[in-house]
Amino acid sequence: MNPTEMDWEKLSEILAQHQGKKWGLIPLLQEVQEGFGFIPPESIESIAETLNLYPSQVQGVITFYAGFSSEPKGKCVLKVCRGTACHVKGGKSVLRLIQKNLDLKEGETSPDYQFTLETAACLGACFLAPAMMVDREYYGKLNPIKVTSILGEYRKEKGED
Amino acid sequence: MEKLSSIGQFEWLRNRILSKTTEDKSVVHVCMTGCRAYGAASVKDALVEEVEKQGLSETVEIRSTGCHGFCAKAPVIGFEPMGIQYQEVTPEDAPEITAKTLKENQLIERLAYKDPKTKVPIYHLDQIPFYAKQEKRVLKRCGRIDPTSVEDYIAAGGYQAIVKALTKMSPDEVIDEVLSAGIRGRGGAGFPTGLKWKFARQAAGQPKYIICNADEGDPGAFMDRAMLEGDPHAVLEGMLIGAYALGAAYGYIYVREEYPIAIDHLNIAIEQLQELGLLGENILGMGFDFDLSLKMGAGAFVCGEETALMASIEGKRGMPTARPPFPAQEGLDRKPSNINNVETFANIPLIINKGAAWYGMVGTEKSKGTKIFSLAGKVNNTGLVEVPIGATIKDVVFEIGGGIPQGREFKAVQMGGPSGGCVPKQFLNLPIDYDTIQKIGAIMGSGGMVVMDENNCMVEIARFFLSFTQSESCGKCAPCRLGTTQLLKILTQITNGEGRMEDIQTIKDLGETITSASLCGLGQTCAKPALSTLKYFTKEYEDHIKEHRCSGAVCDSMVISACQHACPAGIDVPNYVAAIACGNYKQAVDIIRERNPFPAVCGRICIHPCETKCRRGELDEAIAIRTLKRFASDWYFENIGMAKEPFPIIYSEKIAVVGAGPAGLSCAYFLSQMGYKVTVFESQKVGGGMLGIAVPEFRLPREVIEEEIKYIESCGIEICYNTPIDAKRTVNDLLREGFNSVFIAAGAQASKQVGIPGEELALSGLLYGLQFLTDIRLGEKIVLDGKVIVIGGGNVAFDAARTALRMGAQDVHIYYRRGIEEMPAWEKDIEEAVEEGVIINPFWSPGKIIHDKEKVTGIEFIGSKAILEPDGKSYIKVEKDRTLKVDADTIIISIGQAPDSSFISEDSQLERSLWGSLEVDSNTLTTNVDGIFAGGDYITGPTTVISAIASGRRAAIAIDKYLIGAKGPIRIIDEKTQFEETAGLALDEETTEEKPRIQIEIENPVARTKDFREVEKGFTEDQARIEAGRCLRCDLEER
Repeated sequence: MNPTEMDWEKLSEILAQHQGKKWGLIPLLQEVQEGFGFIPPESIESIAETLNLYPSQVQGVITFYAGFSSEPKGKCVLKVCRGTACHVKGGKSVLRLIQKNLDLKEGETSPDYQFTLETAACLGACFLAPAMMVDREYYGKLNPIKVTSILGEYRKEKGED
Repeated sequence: MEKLSSIGQFEWLRNRILSKTTEDKSVVHVCMTGCRAYGAASVKDALVEEVEKQGLSETVEIRSTGCHGFCAKAPVIGFEPMGIQYQEVTPEDAPEITAKTLKENQLIERLAYKDPKTKVPIYHLDQIPFYAKQEKRVLKRCGRIDPTSVEDYIAAGGYQAIVKALTKMSPDEVIDEVLSAGIRGRGGAGFPTGLKWKFARQAAGQPKYIICNADEGDPGAFMDRAMLEGDPHAVLEGMLIGAYALGAAYGYIYVREEYPIAIDHLNIAIEQLQELGLLGENILGMGFDFDLSLKMGAGAFVCGEETALMASIEGKRGMPTARPPFPAQEGLDRKPSNINNVETFANIPLIINKGAAWYGMVGTEKSKGTKIFSLAGKVNNTGLVEVPIGATIKDVVFEIGGGIPQGREFKAVQMGGPSGGCVPKQFLNLPIDYDTIQKIGAIMGSGGMVVMDENNCMVEIARFFLSFTQSESCGKCAPCRLGTTQLLKILTQITNGEGRMEDIQTIKDLGETITSASLCGLGQTCAKPALSTLKYFTKEYEDHIKEHRCSGAVCDSMVISACQHACPAGIDVPNYVAAIACGNYKQAVDIIRERNPFPAVCGRICIHPCETKCRRGELDEAIAIRTLKRFASDWYFENIGMAKEPFPIIYSEKIAVVGAGPAGLSCAYFLSQMGYKVTVFESQKVGGGMLGIAVPEFRLPREVIEEEIKYIESCGIEICYNTPIDAKRTVNDLLREGFNSVFIAAGAQASKQVGIPGEELALSGLLYGLQFLTDIRLGEKIVLDGKVIVIGGGNVAFDAARTALRMGAQDVHIYYRRGIEEMPAWEKDIEEAVEEGVIINPFWSPGKIIHDKEKVTGIEFIGSKAILEPDGKSYIKVEKDRTLKVDADTIIISIGQAPDSSFISEDSQLERSLWGSLEVDSNTLTTNVDGIFAGGDYITGPTTVISAIASGRRAAIAIDKYLIGAKGPIRIIDEKTQFEETAGLALDEETTEEKPRIQIEIENPVARTKDFREVEKGFTEDQARIEAGRCLRCDLEER
């Protein structure tokens, strides 16, 4: 999929389920985020209309929460944990290594939309420290060798597509 | 599942479930939550397949459960009714587990927990120390039931409490029970739950809401996650009871989106309740209406704050509002609302089922019940822990947590995340409860405990938390928005090496302002991490600012590589290790000598702080840096030998050094390298100070120290032996004789006395450690036979004990007034001494020496122990009623050394310090007299060779600065060597093959005690090159 092309049909399907729901903005945005991988800026006005809000209110909520992004994300989203336990166990070096390996900085997506590198305040997986998540999979007790091999696996998957 | 419309129907369902659970079926519990990251799913599949294959499907159930707690050993599986646990299980183990354990009741040693010291396997859960010391109440079912099965929960006694409340208790009675149980909010604030409920019940307005705060955002905390993943129904039952008590018609459970498994399990549980009719209208026919839905967070830490959380449920930006009005009056939708934390709700069914009296049987007076902690960071047994409130930090970190990995030193435990603080070592014995922890500047918090060891930097930790709170601050109120930004800026400057001393006061002032002026909990507590580290680790802040030193070797701006930074002398370790890996041994020694003229000595007896900090140690084991150094320097002396020509003399100024120990000779060496003429005066007939006269032959052979000194002499340094500087020829005389500057490095060679009866008599058989070692080293014939008692726990005591063995003593006992782990001696020496047969007796203080007319016959000891005081110091407490009399033919007292200042004439203008040495500036080592400097052990008291060498180099730099007339402090920073070696980056090899540290060979203990041969052998060339190739070359990492 070319992430810059807007799929209006998909959007209206999602919107239809949320029409006029009380306190429905966050669940609606979560569904759009899940379905599109981001919240397309051109969808904001329709979302506002669906819930009888001002577009500025919608925009305000999108920018407030780290879980929403107005830019498209890659196929694999890496969330490197920056929590305390990971931090004291060398999480910084793990992040640095991943940055080098993917040639991405925090918050960036690769030009081919394969990888997005994010950090999380804490994944709540402190017993795995240092830890990261790739999509919904947890990886723990990371060290340089492990990181290289995990990233290699996801690259391989990409190659097979 | 049918809808239950009466209590009777519920009982009927319960009985039906219980009748189906046959007692004789074995159950295997596989943790499928936390352990999933370690492949628990494939372990489970393999077990299911094997059990079927081996025909056990009828008698064995493989159950997916939540967390078992012992996350460090994931994946773990449990066996019921056997009550045993296997750890680090792989799918390949499934056939054997099925054939042996499930079929034959045989235990598999390989999969059992092993005692870390004795390696003895422990199979039974309740005997594994990690579990034995816990009190599992709230977590009782977690790890034993299938969290996606409501039947499992009901079979384990679930939903009995709501039935009891609905049938036997009025809402007020429920609140009274919760009130008298004394439970306080487990989210961290510790507000009494019963009281909170009472307010919400009394509030006017309908409908009322009950909310569960499952937005567990504190970095380092994962209790709620485990609870929700492993036993979600317990939390929901707590909410049902709460809703009944305060009359709430609707509930929300607000879960953070980062917990997908928790969300899945909760959604399943809610659906099950709706199907059963435990949610909805007229629940169980008792006229109680309640419904509940899950709200998923969207990634904002501030939403853990109750008013912000409610804004977020309403679909708004999650910003807090000012209180009052409190949520109990005006909360969600401006209606009365009550918010409790996950763990608080999970406690409620217990209170209703078992009663307040039972509940209060554990805990402290003001804080009842248990608390779940998530234990993470630098601790062996990371995991989920439930203990009675009031357990000590030591219980949790050391007894249950198993202490710090790799034998490193505990530094602090961080409690309460960004709203909490660091609890240092001196508070290890404090009970964990809301009020006590609050008093020392941290909080019990929601239960995250992150352990930090000596390799963590406390300034950097404070900066880390501030960067967290700064980015999570919602920006609504100025004190928090601007304050966190400023605090972060200052802390970043300090870690960047750009700090100023006045910053310390600014942090305190700013911290107080933010605390008192912020709108919500996030701002009110965000300064705590900075204030508490500043309170207990002021020196770390000062060292960063003044000396560019980071004791954890973490801060990038001052650290090239951790090993180099850890070295007091700052040797460029990675480059010389790489040179060894490339076979370039001469270059390796040249690199070492840039900072340390004693490579062969340090290759043998250095305490190697570099290895403690080695990053490879995080991966498997540290590089054997010390032994590599020994290899290279031994090669150097064999193949190259002395310097070809002395350092050229460039300057006309002359310098005198008093004392030819490591500090004095290092100072001389580096001054000489700079181009000065240096003369060293030594009162003994040999050089090397302690190295030459006290360190025994079996640790440091004579010829090694001789060669090192000869090399230093070959660089152009003149050493005058048997030339004491004393009252006849004073330090001032040296200045008069034409020396432009003097460095005093006279060492600490006077043995301390204990001061017990009998010591004052000139008894035969009473010796002092250092003198004893010196006499033997200098060739005096001392014959020992019979029983030798050594008093002390330092290196000299151990050297004396081991030397005594080699001199013919029949048996040697060491007595020490504290515990073995408190002995200042190097752990390796303690181990070797024990191997050789030295017996250590801790917790005994010497009382009096027993003797006849001229000879020692024994000694009396009094029991003693060390008490850790809140000021961080430990004191000796004598236990008068515990005494011990032992016979002895020889007593060697080694309780420490002091400087011998007898050489300084009475009328000298040199200012003395309290402990009898000289008062010097710690940065420049200047005394109060112009041109006279002092350093080494003489100033600091007995330390280590490498510290003495560092002190000597510091003096050399300071003297040079003095002679060229420059002013101000000196700054010794880490620098790259001029001989860089770019090869040997173990990281670049894309191999996952394990490369363990090469073990150092040691002489057999029986053989080695027969003579004074060197105990430790060095590496062979092959070994050295392989070991050096393990280096990760952290110095080449891009910063």
